[in-house]
Amino acid sequence: MTLAGDARTLTDISVDLAPQRPGRLLVRTPFLAAAGCLGYGVEGEGQVPLDRFGAIVTRGVTLAPRSGSPPPRMAEVPSGLLHAIGLPGPGIEAVLERYAPRWLAWSVPVILSLCAAEAVDFGSLAQRADGVPGVAALELDLASPDLARGGRPLSLDPTLAADATAAARAATELPILVKLSPAATDLRALARALVEAGADALTCTGAMPALAMDPRGGGPLLGSAAAALSGPALRPISLRVVSEVRRAVSEPIVGCGGVSGLPDALEYLAAGADAVAIGTAALADPALPARLGDELAAHGPVARPGVTDRRRQPRTPHAARPR
Amino acid sequence: MAIAGIDRKRGEVTLHLPSTDAATPWLAMRRAGDRADPIGPLGRPLAIEPRTHHLLLIAEGLSVPPLGPLTEAAIATGRRVALLLGARSAAEVYPSSLLPDELEYVVATQDGSLGHRGSVVDLVPAYEAWADQAVASGGPALLERVAHLARGRDARLGVACLGRRTARRGRRTGRVTRRSWLSVVLEQRVGCALGVCLGCVVPGASGPVRVCREGPAFRADELAWEESA
Repeated sequence: MTLAGDARTLTDISVDLAPQRPGRLLVRTPFLAAAGCLGYGVEGEGQVPLDRFGAIVTRGVTLAPRSGSPPPRMAEVPSGLLHAIGLPGPGIEAVLERYAPRWLAWSVPVILSLCAAEAVDFGSLAQRADGVPGVAALELDLASPDLARGGRPLSLDPTLAADATAAARAATELPILVKLSPAATDLRALARALVEAGADALTCTGAMPALAMDPRGGGPLLGSAAAALSGPALRPISLRVVSEVRRAVSEPIVGCGGVSGLPDALEYLAAGADAVAIGTAALADPALPARLGDELAAHGPVARPGVTDRRRQPRTPHAARPR
Repeated sequence: MAIAGIDRKRGEVTLHLPSTDAATPWLAMRRAGDRADPIGPLGRPLAIEPRTHHLLLIAEGLSVPPLGPLTEAAIATGRRVALLLGARSAAEVYPSSLLPDELEYVVATQDGSLGHRGSVVDLVPAYEAWADQAVASGGPALLERVAHLARGRDARLGVACLGRRTARRGRRTGRVTRRSWLSVVLEQRVGCALGVCLGCVVPGASGPVRVCREGPAFRADELAWEESA
């Protein structure tokens, strides 16, 4: 909230993250809380200025209840956070029953993060979330190594990833974001396949599968092998994914990985992202997404050479290029 | 990192930081007048049971500081306090100059260079009957052994029903909640420290518990010991 006098000088920073479904996922600021870092959102209610976030992505929700990975679940590594939480939660039915009524009362859109091992399960999850008041959109987590067979996130296989997206798309008209793994390789083909299968936007990226060992010979530092790296170390990797995906599709991209201040966020916007999700940094400073919104509004328009223009121009070469 | 002392009159908090950590040197280099924006206090602190007269503290290595505020509070309210400390050698023994004079301080070193040669756990039985409340702070191996001793004590001496029995609630539900003799302070890396990220959970007696929210101080009977050590 700004003073009326200031409001006129501030740039409009709202973004439509699902332009194919106008108005369904119009976010006030391009700064989202990334999956897992603010739980179901309700934990920070009253303490975190959620109404000044663009949107909140919930903790990953699964079909069945899960108790999560054995401890320890976190380790500090150079420029990052290694985590293997293991998607603990009561399962989608209980999550929707407990929290959706509270989400409905908020002005900030809540994006439900869905996790499953099989492509078809994303259909079942989307079906349960479809039509539940309070759920603004879905994010299919195809990046998490927790449920992946042999630690291979679904998004490493464009066919499986497209199947998962299509299964969810068939079950709901809600806007669908799909989260890619930073370990994915054929990024342009993957992005095209996901959009073709019905993704409204792509989140680039989830955490990088990674490992830390006890140097004194005690084995892996974390209790589960499905560990992944987040934080500043991830940023250059995710930035490249954003840049690659932007070359392939014109759908909105949510950049995610290692953003802890406005310069980091501007990097993502410059690489072609339309919004930015804050993860690890929000653990230390839960109000960061709100503050970044204020800072960006005061910063003014963001130069995105060859990004925004390309998307809004007619496809004819050179047609709208300023002389 | 631990809060080693609280001076409410002067509005001061003393922190002890390990210099081996990646981020704490930054904090250690702050000077008077520098600004920081901490969140806290968070979680559940250690508490002295109202009926406690003799408080036993058990610690090892660098795990003494978390017991500082409790020690000060116990001494200020006229309780007798004994601290049993284990360390690898005399060089790693917590300096007695940083501890209150009123404290009975007993040291065990692995190499015998100061005090008892061996583990600090060897010293506990001598104080078991004297103390009506015990608090342990240290690594999982130490806590596991002390918790095992505490279970044996409960079996031999019966659970001394210290502190407030939650009698009113007990009558309603038909059961009396008994406070266990031993409390422990867990050392654990926490992510958000607000109970949201679930990064710091340990197995509890009835399901996982968060060190940042339900802890870091736990009654020994709240934790599932077999699995956590």
